[in-house]
Amino acid sequence: MNSLAITRTGTHLTVQDFGRFHYQHLGVSPSGAMDQRIIKELEKIIPLHHNQFIEFAYVGPSIKVKEGSVKVCVGGNCNMNIQKNNGTQIICQPYKSINLFEGDELNIHNTIDSVYGYIAVEHGLGLDPCLKSFSTDTKAGIGSINRPLKVDDTFEILEDVSSWDHLSIPNPAYKKETNFKVYPGPQLQFFTDQALQSFISSTFTISAQSDRMGIRLKGEAILSSESHDILSEGILPGSIQVPSDGQPIVLMRDIPCTGGYPKIAILNEEDISKISQLPPGSQITFDLQTIY
Amino acid sequence: MYFKGINSYGDRGMILDFGDDSSKSISLEVNKAFSTISNLGLPILNIIPSFNKIVIIFENSQIRDQNKEKITLEISEIKSQSHKSANKTWKIPACYDESFALDLKLIQKLHQITKEEIINLHTSESYYTYYIGFMPGFPYLGDISSQLITPRLATPRIKIPARSIGIAKNHTCIYPKISPGGWNIIGQIPFDIFDLQNPSPSLFLPGDKVSFYSVNQKEFQQIQKKHFSINELIKEYSS
Repeated sequence: MNSLAITRTGTHLTVQDFGRFHYQHLGVSPSGAMDQRIIKELEKIIPLHHNQFIEFAYVGPSIKVKEGSVKVCVGGNCNMNIQKNNGTQIICQPYKSINLFEGDELNIHNTIDSVYGYIAVEHGLGLDPCLKSFSTDTKAGIGSINRPLKVDDTFEILEDVSSWDHLSIPNPAYKKETNFKVYPGPQLQFFTDQALQSFISSTFTISAQSDRMGIRLKGEAILSSESHDILSEGILPGSIQVPSDGQPIVLMRDIPCTGGYPKIAILNEEDISKISQLPPGSQITFDLQTIY
Repeated sequence: MYFKGINSYGDRGMILDFGDDSSKSISLEVNKAFSTISNLGLPILNIIPSFNKIVIIFENSQIRDQNKEKITLEISEIKSQSHKSANKTWKIPACYDESFALDLKLIQKLHQITKEEIINLHTSESYYTYYIGFMPGFPYLGDISSQLITPRLATPRIKIPARSIGIAKNHTCIYPKISPGGWNIIGQIPFDIFDLQNPSPSLFLPGDKVSFYSVNQKEFQQIQKKHFSINELIKEYSS
């Protein structure tokens, strides 16, 4: 038996995977890792992740091996060290496998010039899926663990580490994007040419009130010429909806399943991951593509 | 036919357009299309019906584009097909006692009717499940009697008790769990309608027929104590 415990939570610590699908018609959001690029990268080092990744935002957690040993890998832009059982400290790097033995504690510090980071653990976290996914939607209370992780949460990993060999991949060092191509949203025609012009020519600032549900933007008000209240309809992550105050919201992974605000535009899947990594205060612009 | 066509929605989504209005006949067509498409075995990640739209998301744009023609064809053929409905008809116990019916007084005052009339009006209709949305398992039911049509609360409540029955505009609903919300609360049902342990977690599905019957506090508590599972509820309260 191998076991791993959370000894410090950092912020917004949840279990995530590639998403929970086939239930949105029952009001269940797709959830899943905010930056899906990173967990795809981690797959190269920890192929036996069993779809159970730990996601953190801004400040990473500390995890300690209580029993046995585990192999992990961290993805994202962050500093970290291992506090060894014998008192020594080792600096370690993301995208390189890390072998942890009984008593070792991995401390992940803050994410650098980005928001989200991930831990993949070989053989997963010993969790059972909930509605065919391990992802957590804390607002709806759905998930293998239906809440944020907390100190003393302990994961039992039945299988032993397959190999102590060190694996690593180059840090993908994602370029920070601030200009996003967007495509017409279902209610694009609700906005006049003038409103669309200000949508593409102005700069928006990412608000601190952003979370896994949506990224709130502050900037010049974008007003609909028809209404800001439509009959609720299905919505997809990446949609940019505009409520009556004219301040757009980019809907992220824990979306409400249906929504009644007009959607001016939508981001590509890849760009949902990219925009998730922009900290509050970041300035962004949109480039509306007319032909898809 | 209300179906107007299919538009792209982002790089891997599509939106099926059934116009801009909302009515039961539009919803019947939407839900027929929803169940037809759901049963085609297409590589769909999510398919989300609502009053007059169906949103579908695929793994990528290539798969989306490959399936567009097939979906268009299937929908245009729906009309002529005899449609086998898997939908259920529900008779749901509801307690309209003052302790649950937080907004009953407000509705009495607004429409100048008695508590008994409200209960009679709410229990005499068979409602149609337009779709499930807003939160896991939350059914949009309608239409309620024109005498009960009530606007949403001016200030939404921060906490609506789980299992509450609400009305707003021409719809009625049940809150599966505690939630903020703006519907007028007129009663409560004695069991959960969403169960994560069940592979089919929602009691109601789009297209189901739902009616309510009034039970008193004592009967309510007796049912509550049974802690029915989804499968037991299906046996007990649907046909």
